Amino acid sequence: MRVRITSAKALIAASALVVLAACGSGGSSSSSGSAAPAGAPIRGGNLVFDALQDAQSMNNTTVFDNNSIWIFEQIFQPLYTVTNNGKGVEPWLATSYTMSPDKKSYTFKLRPGVKFSNGKPMTSADVKFSIDQDRKAKGGWDFLDLAIASVDDPSPGTVVIHLKYPWAPLLADLSIFANGIVPNNYDGQTEAQFYTHPIGTGPFMWDYWHKGQALKLVRNPYYWQRGKPYLNSVTWEDVPSDNTRELNLKGGQAQIDQTPAWSTVDSLKTTPGVTMSLFPSTQTNYLAFNEHRKPFGDVHVRRAISFAINRAALVKAVLFGNGKPANSLLPPQVPFYQAATQGLQFDLTAAKAEMAKSSVPHGFSTEIIVPSGNSDYITIATILQAELKPLGIKLNISELDPNTVNNDEQHFKYDMVLTLWTMDIPDPDELTYFAVDPQGGASSFFTFYNNPTVVKDTVAAEKTTDPAARQSFYNVVQADAAADAFMAFLYYSPYPYASTSNVHGFFVTPLGNMHMEDVWLSK
Amino acid sequence: MTFVFQRLLMLIPVAIGVTIVVFFMIHLIPGDPASTILGIHATPKAVAFLHHEWGLDRPLVSQYWLFMDRLVHGNLGQSLYYSAPAASIIATRVPATLWLVVYAAILAIAISVPLAMIAASRKDGVRDHVVRAVPLVGLGMPPFWLAILLIYAFAITVHWFPTSGYGAGFFGHLHSMFLPALVVAIALAPVVIRALRASMLNVLGAEYITTAKSKGVPAPQLFLRHVLRNAVIPAVTVLGINIGFLIGGTVIIENVFAIPGIGQLMISSIFQRDFPVVQGVTLVFGVLVVMVNLLADLSYAALDPRVRFDR
Repeated sequence: MRVRITSAKALIAASALVVLAACGSGGSSSSSGSAAPAGAPIRGGNLVFDALQDAQSMNNTTVFDNNSIWIFEQIFQPLYTVTNNGKGVEPWLATSYTMSPDKKSYTFKLRPGVKFSNGKPMTSADVKFSIDQDRKAKGGWDFLDLAIASVDDPSPGTVVIHLKYPWAPLLADLSIFANGIVPNNYDGQTEAQFYTHPIGTGPFMWDYWHKGQALKLVRNPYYWQRGKPYLNSVTWEDVPSDNTRELNLKGGQAQIDQTPAWSTVDSLKTTPGVTMSLFPSTQTNYLAFNEHRKPFGDVHVRRAISFAINRAALVKAVLFGNGKPANSLLPPQVPFYQAATQGLQFDLTAAKAEMAKSSVPHGFSTEIIVPSGNSDYITIATILQAELKPLGIKLNISELDPNTVNNDEQHFKYDMVLTLWTMDIPDPDELTYFAVDPQGGASSFFTFYNNPTVVKDTVAAEKTTDPAARQSFYNVVQADAAADAFMAFLYYSPYPYASTSNVHGFFVTPLGNMHMEDVWLSK
Repeated sequence: MTFVFQRLLMLIPVAIGVTIVVFFMIHLIPGDPASTILGIHATPKAVAFLHHEWGLDRPLVSQYWLFMDRLVHGNLGQSLYYSAPAASIIATRVPATLWLVVYAAILAIAISVPLAMIAASRKDGVRDHVVRAVPLVGLGMPPFWLAILLIYAFAITVHWFPTSGYGAGFFGHLHSMFLPALVVAIALAPVVIRALRASMLNVLGAEYITTAKSKGVPAPQLFLRHVLRNAVIPAVTVLGINIGFLIGGTVIIENVFAIPGIGQLMISSIFQRDFPVVQGVTLVFGVLVVMVNLLADLSYAALDPRVRFDR
């Protein structure tokens, strides 16, 4: 008897997989938190964080992925850190600074007694090396250090940063994880070797990373804040399913769900044993228009669409009421945010008047690209479709896989696209440089928006250190950007985090930073 | 042995075919790994820098040759997402999927064999109808839903099993993977039960069974030694084919139970356009499917001495 089994089965199975890829996943969020401390902190325990997806890399100078950032922020610490309200900085590995009269040199005093997790003391040579590495990180976070001319280390406890020109956001830039301090020369290793088991001054140090499964950090015995961290260890587990993260929390297998679905937030608020936190964030969702595609070069069309969007309805449908309509390019948790900027809010009469003034008074047909599987974005697109109808705009929704959507956006192959932003530094410059300055490298958030007045004020705000002067520049930027409607500002959402009620001291800043050294578990 | 050798040789064209199809398919669909890595920060300058680093700025054909050249030397390339060797990433993910598939197959057999015997022992009787009908409910239930029900029942209400995860060590895996394997087994069992029952009924009608009965062979012995052994080959074929598909199809179960298997890796790599990993995983799938089929073939000879793999 001859048994024949064809190799076609292998191919069929392989292609079945490719087809499976059509089902999507998506959505991301940042952090939140404020479990009120109950009694004196207890030392010990392992805290399990359920994350939507795996980290990508521990290289703090090149990685943009939030899942990686939130982890390596527990290992690497910067000279200054973001305050809890997200609007300023406070001394961290530096204790103070002085500025030269020409505002082009900053001298920092380093915090004494800080050691790396390998027991070696941190000195100015480590700081110089770290910042220089970030300045060299091509395609990474180097753009935040562009104003720096050089870094000097005149004595072990002193660092001097020389600027090319006066630069207001310097301290904010230094507070980013990318300027976190690593040992000089990567402690004798290559960059690639170092980041497979990184060393820092943070509360936790490296244990293991089983890619696609879990990453564990353990207590740094040399940590400089006396008595901290309270936890013995923190483990980030990759749990892609929303349902499973929730079940893990209820079953006590995890203590924090990093991204509960918006639809579950209300029920989690009343679930016994669970603390549902919504931390104010800098996350802002936008609808972007490609000005190189007709008719979006016409300001009246963009304004008409912006007026036609009922933002309160979006907040209700997408965030289940847990957010606020956006009025400005900047979110409320960013310094120099202007609450008085009204923006273009829902007003159908104004929308129709703008359409009448436009190049397409009788409407037109257009397309919005949305990532398949991202139910939030699909909901927004569906609402937009209905809201634009009265203007004679026929909106086609094109669902593509998430990577294709990103790629099409970055290559300007779209009419309209939904996008979002979260801040990494407590200064509007990171966002304005990217969003309204065509020289920022991304053609103004991939829209081709170019208003010379807005660009001029943005650049002026960077180089002015006087807060009042900066505020007035940013007021104009916010008002003009809203009036130009280069993007429709949709809504501000908080960071949802669900935790078991024995988690205490968990807090997330509007930028997403978490101080895991303050967290403890009660029995 | 010649047969086994031939079948192993067949792996080569299968593997090459799989690499060609996957390589060009994944490169021809829109998307870009740089979009994943850089996200909103994907300025043209940063994208160009990464493309150059990864060699994606070279012509597609030369990229394919480079891939094949590396492959011949046992190198699957670097994961673009993790910046680590693709082979080591895949190697760490294969055991979880194998665990799931093998565990599920064992559970499926453990469920199917007794039930098929019960059904076949009284054709068209009540027990036959019950066995044929009830497991179909398992086949009809969406696996992710069944999974959540089982987690609620056995991990949250009573803490018999963990809610998710792969566990550590042999017994850890055995414990953690029980519910996921059971979900797969419940979907697999009805098909195997039907195949086994049908072929058992065939065998039961054979003359040698009548002879055995007339000689007074006791029922349990009759079923185990004569009926089951002769009836099992079609069921093995069904199981083999289904396991072949399972290797690629466990992704939903891996997702719900947060099991770090290759199904999950495949999906995330496709989303990330992590070309070397997608290519590597597909290759592994191809090889595994061929191997499972080979094992099914070999088991025929073990089960039935009349089966010979002659040319």
